[in-house]
Amino acid sequence: MNLEIEKKKIFKKGAEASLYYGKWFNKDVIFKYRISKKYRLDIIDKKIRNSRTLNEARALIKIKNYGINVPCVYEIDPEESIITMDYIPGEKLKDLISILDIQKLEDYFKKVGIFIGILHQNGHIHGDITTSNILITPNKEVFLIDFGLHDYSDNIEDKSVDIHLLKRVLISSHGDYYKICFKAFLEGYRDCYNESSIEECESIILNVDVIETRGRYIKKEERL
Amino acid sequence: MVARLLSQLLEIPLVGVNHCIAHIEIGRQMCKIDDPLTLYVSGGNTIVSAFESERYQIFGETLDLAIGNMIDSFAREADIPHPGGPKIEKLARDSSKYLELPYTVKGMDLSFSGLYTAAKRLLKSKKFGIEYNLNDIAYSLQETAFAMLTEVTERALAHTGKKEVLLTGGVAANKKLQEMINYISDEHNARFEVVPLRYAGDNGVMIAWTAILKYLSKGEDTIEDTIIKPKERMDNIEVPWRN
Repeated sequence: MNLEIEKKKIFKKGAEASLYYGKWFNKDVIFKYRISKKYRLDIIDKKIRNSRTLNEARALIKIKNYGINVPCVYEIDPEESIITMDYIPGEKLKDLISILDIQKLEDYFKKVGIFIGILHQNGHIHGDITTSNILITPNKEVFLIDFGLHDYSDNIEDKSVDIHLLKRVLISSHGDYYKICFKAFLEGYRDCYNESSIEECESIILNVDVIETRGRYIKKEERL
Repeated sequence: MVARLLSQLLEIPLVGVNHCIAHIEIGRQMCKIDDPLTLYVSGGNTIVSAFESERYQIFGETLDLAIGNMIDSFAREADIPHPGGPKIEKLARDSSKYLELPYTVKGMDLSFSGLYTAAKRLLKSKKFGIEYNLNDIAYSLQETAFAMLTEVTERALAHTGKKEVLLTGGVAANKKLQEMINYISDEHNARFEVVPLRYAGDNGVMIAWTAILKYLSKGEDTIEDTIIKPKERMDNIEVPWRN
């Protein structure tokens, strides 16, 4: 992989990883490169980048099998900590919320709810469900991206925290649309649970409110 | 209790102050820094905080042990007298042998309990004194814990876009930690300051100074207002002097 060439087309630079746009066997791809940090020992640096790269790539591959729209992983280089994955054209849901009509907005959030519901039922936690990590493609498909904070858990608490993050983002960044979006999300989320698991689903949703009443968050919510 | 009594006896104003906020305020004053991202590391707290939406918001914190408590507890296990932190720092300087220890960062939060248990286990192992020594454990413990602290600080720095970084609390005295936080501050073009040691650890001046700021902006408190709330979070408290 000739990273030197691709590096010129930097796509996004985060605190932990940089995204580069490029070609891989003629396909449009994104190289997600976890940056080496000089402040920590090489051995720690290598271990963290290596394990996070593998964790994210494995998660993406597994999740794709559930029929959830996520970028397809083409190549993993744990030594260099690079994931080569499908480039998903489209816009962040974050940038579309205020211009979409209500019906479309509800459809998208319902779809997100279904995706997250499937993830949770299979023991996956996205870890960073924000409106920046949801893409809408030109064919109006919903894609989930950035599984950098992904984790495995069957805990109600972890699933509630996952949903709570989305709720907080909706309130703080898209206040006017929060009610519509979150309601549609929960509708989709509930839809993918069946009779035997709906009780757990309700406990997860109920626990989102419990999290908010804990010291850390209550004042923030009240202020809004 | 003493403050309440004195204010009654001398008929002077009584002002309640939050301990964590006082650490940041004395740091701002002593380092002539305006709006920093603060890493506050001590025996009782491990907090990454910055001022946003009228409060000192908490961006990251420990989910279990405070960093200073973890190091001191480990030192006690190794029969090092209190305070163990400076001794651990000294021991670590004479080693460059890294023993693998758990590294636990969850988003911007940290967990030190697994690290503590693993370090303690190394101490009690049969291999201790043969394959590695106390210097090596001290070194590995510091490198791991401080890399965790630095990672969450960097993440918060990128997230908030602050241009100043303040390091405070008792553990701020550690040169290795200073070096690491300084490094990421440079990378983000942020000014880095360590609060002078006598004002970084718990001290009376920080309480008095914060009380002055609060008194000048909001006036005095009643006795009822000053009931001690040990669990009060800094992001719950109004900061009228900064608004």
